[in-house]
Amino acid sequence: MTLLTFFTDPVFSMPTIGAMLMCLASSLVGVMVFLKKQSLVGEVLSHATYPGVVLGMVMFGSAPAVLIGAGMVSALALGAIRLLQNRLKVPADAALCFTLASFLGVGILLASRVQLTSALLYRQIQTFLYGQVVTMNATHVVVYGLLALIIILFVSLAFRMLIITTFDPLFAKTIGIPVRVLERITYALLILAVIIGIRSVGVVLMAAMLIAPPVAARWLTNRLSYLFLFSGLVGLFSGFIGTFLSVVGKGLPTGPMIVLTASGFALLSLLFAPKRGLLSRAIRIVRFRWQCSLENVLKACWKKGEYTPVTVFSRLIVIALQVQGWMRGKKLTLDGERRAASIVRLHRLWEVYLVTYVGASSDKVHVSAEEMEHIITPELEAEITTLLGDVKIDPHSQPIPPRGTF
Amino acid sequence: MLRGNFASDEIQLLTLFCISISSVLVGAFLYFRRMTMLANSLSHTILLGIAIAFIVLRSSGGAFFQLDLSVIVLASLITGLLTTLITNLFTHLFGLQEDASIGLVFTTLFALGVVVVTLYTKSAHIGLEAIMGNIDALTISDLQMSATIALVNLGVITLCFRPLFLSTFDSSLAKTFGISAKYYSYLLMFLTSISAITAFRAVGVFLFLALLVGPVIIARQFANKFSHMLILAPLIGMLISLIAIALSRHCYSVWDMPLSTSGLVVSIIAVLTFAMPILKLRRAT
Repeated sequence: MTLLTFFTDPVFSMPTIGAMLMCLASSLVGVMVFLKKQSLVGEVLSHATYPGVVLGMVMFGSAPAVLIGAGMVSALALGAIRLLQNRLKVPADAALCFTLASFLGVGILLASRVQLTSALLYRQIQTFLYGQVVTMNATHVVVYGLLALIIILFVSLAFRMLIITTFDPLFAKTIGIPVRVLERITYALLILAVIIGIRSVGVVLMAAMLIAPPVAARWLTNRLSYLFLFSGLVGLFSGFIGTFLSVVGKGLPTGPMIVLTASGFALLSLLFAPKRGLLSRAIRIVRFRWQCSLENVLKACWKKGEYTPVTVFSRLIVIALQVQGWMRGKKLTLDGERRAASIVRLHRLWEVYLVTYVGASSDKVHVSAEEMEHIITPELEAEITTLLGDVKIDPHSQPIPPRGTF
Repeated sequence: MLRGNFASDEIQLLTLFCISISSVLVGAFLYFRRMTMLANSLSHTILLGIAIAFIVLRSSGGAFFQLDLSVIVLASLITGLLTTLITNLFTHLFGLQEDASIGLVFTTLFALGVVVVTLYTKSAHIGLEAIMGNIDALTISDLQMSATIALVNLGVITLCFRPLFLSTFDSSLAKTFGISAKYYSYLLMFLTSISAITAFRAVGVFLFLALLVGPVIIARQFANKFSHMLILAPLIGMLISLIAIALSRHCYSVWDMPLSTSGLVVSIIAVLTFAMPILKLRRAT
């Protein structure tokens, strides 16, 4: 079975498309919630839909009733969180935790009511805990598609307002953006995304689909528009790959597979994202340290006239310097001479600056200069030179090399 | 320690008492340390912990969730440390905001747990049992275990009360005394996970959370001293368990309506807690 047949196969096409639409919706809403630092509210609301699912199933036994029931109950949960926080002064985390547990508990009480009377109904209710996509049909897909469309429309139409409200709520208020209305709509969309999602991912794991795609996207970009775009893409792919894995590995539950795929994307992004990822940060650090060691050897060589490496590491550095043309044998080349002089110049200039402008005593400035000599840019050097005038002597009565070509 | 013949109701009641005591004791500290969402993480990841512990100790080929004490201790060590460590790693090493790292870590670990359990047992039923709890299946050994854990919690918290109290309410003062808040956080997370695992069979892990926070919220409305609260909250938890079991029996025998006792426990806590604002309004007027 190839990947593409998933979209044409009569059995799998509807579940696959349904799961993808659901993941798209939740990853877009997830971005808004993530930026508000309210990801855990999504977690509580998704757990809290459970009693609504049970009520909808038991009283009406139809899919729309389940959606409406779940939506109403999770709105109630939102109210319950506010009640605990505002009336009882319960800290935010405890309010979330308690609302989650108590709503789920009521749901379990309701579910136990039908456990013995109707086994079929009970089994249908239980599928909402971990989600089940295989039983989706065209009607589901149309409904989910419409709901996802509402979310996409809102995000694209209110994009300007969302940017301003997210990053500067006070400014948003002064220029007349209805911040409170926008916030209510965001929560309404969150509830919408949750009730679409529980069908395929399940109430227990729904929160992951609100968190993992935005995290994966956040590490790749700093722009809000791309954030929505990437997050949506990660959501779509996770929905597809998760469904695929669960169908191929027979019997694996769909919800957890979708969630594991999305978290996999998030982890990859956290580790290997081009700028913010852990690996590229580590590489930057190592490269900077290496550069510092090179410059320190150049400096030592400039002071003594020649440099004999002792350790393996310093021998490596000397080889690197020879390859790059700064050294020949144990001595500096002409270029190396100039570069070393400019490093010493930065070091001594910084010492002068600290003594004259910061008022540090001259015996304490060396340590700071030892670091700053690797960091000061040519622009900064020019600034310091104009500030200090043309100084020739550093606080330790050593000559400052004149400004070279470096 | 606890031997002899107990009726099923007595076992259930006493087990619930023990679980209330152990969960409320750690809950009170977690509540004031703003760490209850980490307890929520634990209650999810415990599934993975138990699955791993079981696979490691599978030599004795028993049924999947026939837990003995060694499995429990190992599973809680794995779960507590793994969850707390990874969450901290995400927050500090990757620089991810705290709410997102909590949410990301526990959902992933839980999903992993469900997959592992499904692969090993070929059914997702056990995952469901973890959520719901099955109070009617409790036996005397469950009672012994929860009593042991309650005693362990009580003992550790009594022994470490000063440093725990200080690091909870004044971490900078605690620091000057050389008490590391981090170390005690890990201790609390460990206690939380062993309590969660014992509660796991009786009330289900999520309902354990309600017992963790609910009685503390209620007690907080009446007590102004931490020590008073620490005594009041377990009493509230025990009272609620008593009412729940009585109500469950009543519903069954009088109205012929079988209800989940653990569901009832949580529902009663929920009703009481959400009724608190009304009580408060009446007191104010």
